Amino acid sequence: MLISPPKLPLKVLKWFCSPDLVEDVEGDLGELFRTRYENNKFRAQALFCLDVLFLFRPGIIRNIKFKQGLNQYVMLKNYFKIALRNALRYKGYTALNLFGLIVGIASSMLVLLWVQDERNMNSFHENGDKIYQAFRNMKQSNGVVSTTSSVPKPLADLVSDGYSEVDAIASFSWLMEMQITYEDQSTVEEGHFASPEFLNMFSFPILVGDKAKALDELNSVMISRAVAEKYFGENWQTEALGKIFKLQTANLSVSGVFENTGPNSTLQFDWLRPVQAYYNANRWVNNWGNGSFGLYLSISEEEKADRVAERILMEIMDHTVDNDAAGDEEVIIQKFEDTYLYSNFDNGVISGGRIDYVRIMTVVAIFILIVACINFMNLTTARSSRRSKEIGLRKVMGARKNSIGTQFYFEAFFLTTIAVALSTLVVILLLPYFNGLVDKSLSLDFMQINTWYFLGGLVLVVGTLSGSYPALLLPTFSILQSMKGGVKQSFFAELFRKGLVVFQFAISTLLIIGTAVVYKQIDYVLNKDLGLVKENLITIPLQAGMAQKLETYKTELLRLPDVKAVTASTGNPLSYGRSTSSASWEGKDPSAGYEVNVIITDEDFIRTSGMEILKGRDFSEQMQDSSNFIINEVAAQLMGFDDPLGKDLSFWGINGKITGVVKNFHMSNMYEPIAPLIITCIDPSRSAVMLVRIDNNSGTVLKSIEQITAELAPGSDFSYEFVDQVYAEGYRSEQTVGTLANIFAFISILISSLGLLGLTSYSAEQRSMEIGVRKVHGASVLQILMLLSKDYSRLILISFVLAIPAGYYVMQDWLNNFEFRTSLNVLVFLVATAIIFLIGVLTVGAKSYQAATANPVKSLRQE
Amino acid sequence: MGKYAIGEFEEVVLLTVAVLYENAYGIAIKEDIEQRLKRKVSVGAMRTALKRLEKKEFLTSEFGEATAIRGGKRKRYFRVTPYGKKALEKVMSDRQKLWEAIPTMAFDFK
Repeated sequence: MLISPPKLPLKVLKWFCSPDLVEDVEGDLGELFRTRYENNKFRAQALFCLDVLFLFRPGIIRNIKFKQGLNQYVMLKNYFKIALRNALRYKGYTALNLFGLIVGIASSMLVLLWVQDERNMNSFHENGDKIYQAFRNMKQSNGVVSTTSSVPKPLADLVSDGYSEVDAIASFSWLMEMQITYEDQSTVEEGHFASPEFLNMFSFPILVGDKAKALDELNSVMISRAVAEKYFGENWQTEALGKIFKLQTANLSVSGVFENTGPNSTLQFDWLRPVQAYYNANRWVNNWGNGSFGLYLSISEEEKADRVAERILMEIMDHTVDNDAAGDEEVIIQKFEDTYLYSNFDNGVISGGRIDYVRIMTVVAIFILIVACINFMNLTTARSSRRSKEIGLRKVMGARKNSIGTQFYFEAFFLTTIAVALSTLVVILLLPYFNGLVDKSLSLDFMQINTWYFLGGLVLVVGTLSGSYPALLLPTFSILQSMKGGVKQSFFAELFRKGLVVFQFAISTLLIIGTAVVYKQIDYVLNKDLGLVKENLITIPLQAGMAQKLETYKTELLRLPDVKAVTASTGNPLSYGRSTSSASWEGKDPSAGYEVNVIITDEDFIRTSGMEILKGRDFSEQMQDSSNFIINEVAAQLMGFDDPLGKDLSFWGINGKITGVVKNFHMSNMYEPIAPLIITCIDPSRSAVMLVRIDNNSGTVLKSIEQITAELAPGSDFSYEFVDQVYAEGYRSEQTVGTLANIFAFISILISSLGLLGLTSYSAEQRSMEIGVRKVHGASVLQILMLLSKDYSRLILISFVLAIPAGYYVMQDWLNNFEFRTSLNVLVFLVATAIIFLIGVLTVGAKSYQAATANPVKSLRQE
Repeated sequence: MGKYAIGEFEEVVLLTVAVLYENAYGIAIKEDIEQRLKRKVSVGAMRTALKRLEKKEFLTSEFGEATAIRGGKRKRYFRVTPYGKKALEKVMSDRQKLWEAIPTMAFDFK
């Protein structure tokens, strides 16, 4: 099939190109386009546009023929001239108008770039629309459904063998750390175990190695370009293949190098190993009751996917009927492309995720654009009486209504085009800062045809929005009145303008309320009592072999004067996800299934993390506590004990007694309820991290810790994290949205105030005679100030009536996403409205004061 | 200048049309100039030059066959007229005269 060049530029060409050239030129361009298309289709499209643009020159443009009796061209030239003269004559208004438009357009452009980038996440996979991911919904007996992506291996086998609708499956592990050694260099890298099909299903570029075989051999490993460069230097392309990495227990041979996963992918990894290697070493995966790896399915048609969804739903239940401990669960599938934006599950049903922020920001961008357009409309219509003589004269000379309408459309488009061009400049200048703010690398790529469509569309939308009202209203002026000067504007026009001001301020208030609530929630989250002391607590991942030297490591660390306490544990307590469904206790209903978190640690855990024991006692070295457990409040409630102390509890085949109840602490983010938990010190050598409580976070103590670690685990790189920083990092997207909302609230107020400033100065000017007469008759400055300000102040007050309920509804809805949330109180609304009112009144007041203090002689002597 | 007025770029285009002889149409001319003389030529610039040359009657053109890669649009083939040839000769002989008039010392850059 023959590819056709972009339609729009082609139309433009046909419109301006002289008729005897058009066929040939179009043929030439088409030929060029198709030749370039082979190499790079986006470049070809952009170059096509450029070529059309360069063809717009005398000699090629068709002759404008006057003999047909159409004087469009002359009129357009006249409109242009008049528009320019008017713009230059009232520089203040023009600047106000343009500035508002530029700020509005530039900020919405930035947001829309961000939105586009969010939507592009994971979009580089060629068959991305055919990939689905399986999730397990596990129903707890307390009614809560928890959703996880780890599914049992037998399910993957079953789908692979028995589902004809599924073209291929790929198993993919959770993110694992692996310490690799090559010659004398050693680093810890993160990666996944993956099925060989993974490489075919997803489009991660393979730079070296055979895509079809790279994950076949059990001892093979694929590494990222970054790792390859780290170990094999510049010549990695020829050096890397076949080299042997030493692992603690095995040797791995490099079978391929893939391109770094990059910012557009949610799957981030630096190595890949065949799943079979993990399966062989871990027999537990063969049980239907154990969730293991993630499962991706490749399904070619939507309709087949529906059938798969139906078929797979009860598979786990059906295969675990004989198992009493098995829970009540369902399997669902979700499109892989949706997993980034729709990642939140609420009771097993997809309930949004980042898409919420994407939607919010889109709406905000549109609002800002509308606010800017309203300014344009209001200033143009309010000042139309200045143009009334012109309109009247045009009518006398025979202009029809629609040609006057055309004129005002033309002016709107003229100004909008300038504004869009300038905003593009502003955006280019601001992008580096904006990128820093949202932590992305956005860019405006002028080689992409979409960028041109976007800019053109912007001109069209903003021009139409802001030009329509003036273009409809102004031609309706009657000839007589406009020639006499001073058109009395209809009641409706006035009302409409006031309505628009109300709308502007309502949006600004809404944004301020939104910002305040988001900040309040972030503040709440970051300062909430989490049940442990998160400051000055660091986690150090345990290197291979360190688990055996735990005691030495601890004693060495404790010798440092700034180290208060040390404990080993299976993870960072603030983001913890290791759980069991096999826990049972006295009086438990045998058929009920619960997921209970388990932390394996040592006797110093509670003390080091700063948790609080509510009942019973902490573990202690003297008491031989290895078969005793501490549970949290949620677990105590779940188990239904009035006094849990001394009750029997067992899981993973370990039987023991409960010796204490710890105060609830957060193991997950604020969107989730606190999960039940068992803490055990049965086998500290299973630990994955060291938790160290330090006195202050000076560099010296970290240096000393690094030295000790290096002595015990030579050759490995030392890394650590502050628990509170990791925690704050988890709310990054909320903080970004908070900052963005803050900026946009400010911009919205700025634009609205600019509009208000224009309107006030206009009405002050109109009423200058009235003010003069009043002053001559003894009115005080204050009285006149009141007279001028009260109208607009009233409008601002009305806008609050609209904004407050809307703000309450929207923000309550947002807060409801959080399991733990701040309350919406009156103060938020009071502060928000007070800020807006103050700014509005100050704007109006400043301008009115100027009018009220002017010498009345000036305004009165004219008649 | 007189009746053989011709610009530098126009001259290049006209010569290329002569070089290509029976195969001188838009893209071919553009590509030939780009390859032989290593200079960038935009479709717009070339088009304008061709149009001017035709107006000055240095060139004639006729429509040729249509091909698929051109989206079914016909090619327009250009040929140099005898008058065009004269113009080219005039330019060359003018230059020749000037070169011959240069004293050898003028280019002696030692």
